[in-house]
Amino acid sequence: MTHEFSYHAPGSLDEALALLSEYGEKAAVLSGGTDLLVNIRAGLSRPEYVIDIKKIPELKALSYDPEDGLHIGACVTVNELLEYEPIAESFAVLYAAGAELATHQLRHRATPVGNIVTASPCGDMSSPLLCLEAEVVIVSQNSTRRVALREFITGVKTTVLAPTEIVKEIFVPPTYAGAQAGYQKLKRIKGHDLGVVAVALVKHNGSFRIGINSAAPTPLLLPDFAAGTPVEEVQKAAAKAISPIDDVRCTKEYRAFMVGVYIERLMKEVGA
Amino acid sequence: MKRVQFTINGDLYEREIHEHRTLLHVLREEIGLTGTKEGCGAGECGACTIIMNGVPINACLVLAVEADGTEIETVEGESKSGRLSPVQEAFDRHHAVQCGFCTPGMLMTIKDLLQRYPKPSREQIIEGIEGNFCRCTGYEQIIEAVLDATGQLEEKGEIKHA
Repeated sequence: MTHEFSYHAPGSLDEALALLSEYGEKAAVLSGGTDLLVNIRAGLSRPEYVIDIKKIPELKALSYDPEDGLHIGACVTVNELLEYEPIAESFAVLYAAGAELATHQLRHRATPVGNIVTASPCGDMSSPLLCLEAEVVIVSQNSTRRVALREFITGVKTTVLAPTEIVKEIFVPPTYAGAQAGYQKLKRIKGHDLGVVAVALVKHNGSFRIGINSAAPTPLLLPDFAAGTPVEEVQKAAAKAISPIDDVRCTKEYRAFMVGVYIERLMKEVGA
Repeated sequence: MKRVQFTINGDLYEREIHEHRTLLHVLREEIGLTGTKEGCGAGECGACTIIMNGVPINACLVLAVEADGTEIETVEGESKSGRLSPVQEAFDRHHAVQCGFCTPGMLMTIKDLLQRYPKPSREQIIEGIEGNFCRCTGYEQIIEAVLDATGQLEEKGEIKHA
């Protein structure tokens, strides 16, 4: 049973930010709700005010321009992202990872912005967006700031976001548009479970980069590798960077092993 | 408390509801439509799948206030005319129901699947029901029922479980 709270659905960003500025830590921002409502129902989150931002038109914005880049508004759902043609055409790694995120029903509510704000080590959007050098656009009543995603997530489910701030959008520069890419995710069963480990690979201009989920407190981005770097060398660099744990899903040794397996598969698949 | 209204299976409902109540709980306990089930309550099992504004969602992870002004379809709408839908009939023929707890959610997920793919392949059906658990593990019968309902099981011999 959920605790009682009051619900607000402001129609403008200004109104939402005013509410957040007033209620601060007593408030929680609701978009897709696929993390927030799970936490509320489990008693892990007990906001007095729930601020639903889905009625704010500008947060639904989704646009791509080869000059300007990709903008993913806070309330764009994962399925909306997957159905947006430039994603399959130009951001293969996002498309592949989005299709792996939870289930069809969940993807109709869950949002890429929510996925990075939750900042789980296994967030499917995180390592692909790290590879694409995404930025997080954060607004509060008095300011707008842009933070690189690699600085936005600070630990297991922690970010630099203040209680009075809202992530307005994720911005992906056009740098890696059209890059060949792949995403491999290990899970015990399709859909219903958290990822055990996942690896993203993006190839670009004579080099390639690798992102890793569920193998450290935060999703990781490895330093770029020159095209033609031997698989073993890449695997060694990854093994050094990760710090996997044992949990109910598998051992740390198995996680480390599978990171190596996926690196080899992706390098073959993408031709890195 | 907030006053909300939504259309469920074509009928308009207006209710005064608590803001912290999920749509699933309001459907079951305040509207009295108990076809939709609560399994995990965390968006994993799909037993609470309904269609809201044309897309399948987990009703356990939506607040009833969020559904204000929406059009909702639940399993009760499937046989509103007093007759089972073609998919429900195929479920019956293929013994695709054991304990029945996953069935309402399965039916709504399949309804959406057939709107996207009128003749889904076996793989599309498997992919389509990825968000619905059947703990009796009767998936094979469910897949056959969908193939049958969409006219893709011509040979009687293929109906292994009837």
